[in-house]
Amino acid sequence: MGQNQVPTVAIVGSGPSGCYTAQFLRKRFPDAQITIFDRLPMPYGLVRFGVAPDHAGTKAVTQQFDRLFERDGVKFVGSIEVGKDKSLEELRAEFDVVVLATGLSADRQLGIPGEEKNGVYGSGRITRLINGHPDESLEGIQLGERVVIVGQGNVAMDLIRLSLTHPEELAGVGVDREVADLIAHSMLKQIDVVGRSEISDAKFDVAMVKELGKIADVRFTSDAPILGEEGDPETQKRIDAINTLVDNSPVTAGRVVNFHFGWVPSEINGEQHVSEAIFTAKHTGERKALPADAIYTAIGFTEAEAAAVKRDAHISEITDLETGRLAQGLYCVGWLRRGPRGTIPANRADAKMVSEAIIEDFENNQLEKVTV
Amino acid sequence: MSKKVVILFGTESGNAEFAAEDIAAEIDGRDSEVVDMTDFDIADFTSDNFYIIICSTHGEGDLPSGAVPFYGALEADTPDLSGVEFGIFGLGDSSYENYSKGSERIDEKLRDLGAKRVGDYGRHDADTGTLPNASAVAWSQELLASH
Ligand SMILES: Cc1cc2nc3c(=O)[nH]c(=O)nc-3n(C[C@H](O)[C@H](O)[C@H](O)COP(=O)(O)OP(=O)(O)OC[C@H]3O[C@@H](n4cnc5c(N)ncnc54)[C@H](O)[C@@H]3O)c2cc1C
Ligand SMILES: Cc1cc2nc3c(=O)[nH]c(=O)nc-3n(C[C@H](O)[C@H](O)[C@H](O)COP(=O)(O)O)c2cc1C
Repeated sequence: MGQNQVPTVAIVGSGPSGCYTAQFLRKRFPDAQITIFDRLPMPYGLVRFGVAPDHAGTKAVTQQFDRLFERDGVKFVGSIEVGKDKSLEELRAEFDVVVLATGLSADRQLGIPGEEKNGVYGSGRITRLINGHPDESLEGIQLGERVVIVGQGNVAMDLIRLSLTHPEELAGVGVDREVADLIAHSMLKQIDVVGRSEISDAKFDVAMVKELGKIADVRFTSDAPILGEEGDPETQKRIDAINTLVDNSPVTAGRVVNFHFGWVPSEINGEQHVSEAIFTAKHTGERKALPADAIYTAIGFTEAEAAAVKRDAHISEITDLETGRLAQGLYCVGWLRRGPRGTIPANRADAKMVSEAIIEDFENNQLEKVTV
Repeated sequence: MSKKVVILFGTESGNAEFAAEDIAAEIDGRDSEVVDMTDFDIADFTSDNFYIIICSTHGEGDLPSGAVPFYGALEADTPDLSGVEFGIFGLGDSSYENYSKGSERIDEKLRDLGAKRVGDYGRHDADTGTLPNASAVAWSQELLASH
């Protein structure tokens, strides 16, 4: 590339990591041709299809990204799954820089007997369904009076809240009425939320627990031991949040949510459909059976086996995942780079770092196209 | 002659920066500059400029990551800011308990150090599902008409 030239850039995936990367590269290269591809017809990844529909403030970040396409001359090409509809090799031959921002979409499995039974649903599937993802449908989903949620991170908190919100309210924030009626159905009486961590290491954010306290007609319980002052203030905040939620909830209510801390899932029972989930206490080995009409697993995300683009297939001698470099002219960012952790803002910091690596490579003439 | 306007933003997910750019784009007939708090040297504060501070809130009423080094420098160096005038616009989400507290911490710190806040305290609530840009621009236009 000559002195006056600017690189052409393809970003694969239009979630927050891809969009923030486009923002940072646009600032440095006002005239570069930047194109974002996505396998779906519409942009924004998990901001559109993961973030809960009642969190309008969080979803609003997409309005920042809208401007990329409306004013800043970034092109969006939807309905192209790279690795399927167009090969990555083709893309790398066409563009000086290719950035993979395809996320991690598969629900992590429990890895226990019975997990394949009807009535066990991944949280990714359920949250995509709630958000109207074109790949999902209601087919085969059957809930009941009792739902067990495995996992206690923020996605589990979203599922508790959405399940207990009136269907009309969900429809009011854009959820399909049939989906709202299914997820937040009036039959629901009990939710058991089970985590392998003790309360001191539980994965939820305190703000998410506080939000649960705003839901009417729910009794909350917890099996965590009543602890004194913990040394670590963050730990203390988590304990206080759960205690406050439990103490401020009515003694009798139409629905009950039980938090179980320190239990490892060991087995799922039932004929064809689930009937109970068995857990083992982390420290004592004690068993606990929780009756269940349905089970949501919310224990994190991983690369889909059928993913059309796999990060580790492109590891080369110059790979440096710390800075997002995969191969010459090929980069990765966001969940795909660093794993399924962190909120939307964390992807901005990530995108800034990877953009800086790209800019540095450009300035050091490291972007010459290679034949691949 | 009107003072140059320096728009200092503190952000975590980019909304404050986005609004700061729109504020600058709508300033007519006077010098202006948009600066990330992270990149700002607090020794550069001067009464020759007018400052617009736009800052969000994260965690539980905490500063956004982009404001942390700025706040830390003010705390460590305790510069004398008397004569410095600023207007402030806070970003937050009223569905959280500590609504808009991040900007308030910056406001308090600047005033402790002798700077003077002028005009109305601007605010934006993300719970409305909107971005702050439109209200921040309207607020800044009114502020700058008299400062
Ligand atoms: C259920 C859920 C709720 C969440 N709620 C919040 C929240 O409230 N607040 C918050 O801050 N964070 C939340 N997060 C986390 C946040 O969504 C992630 O940090 C972020 O979306 C990760 O960004 P990403 O760009 O790496 O991946 P993604 O957002 O997953 O984007 C990846 C994009 O790549 C596309 N893609 C995949 N493969 C291909 C291919 N082969 N070709 C073309 N395109 C492809 C996908 O269609 C998608 O658009 C939530 C996550 C989940 C799962
Ligand atoms: C994880 C997280 C925590 C937040 N905590 C608060 C809070 O405690 N108080 C508040 O008023 N707003 C809070 N907000 C809302 C943000 O301040 C608001 O979305 C703002 O527009 C973000 O601006 P930024 O992109 O410039 O950082 C929080 C947002 C997120 C994503």
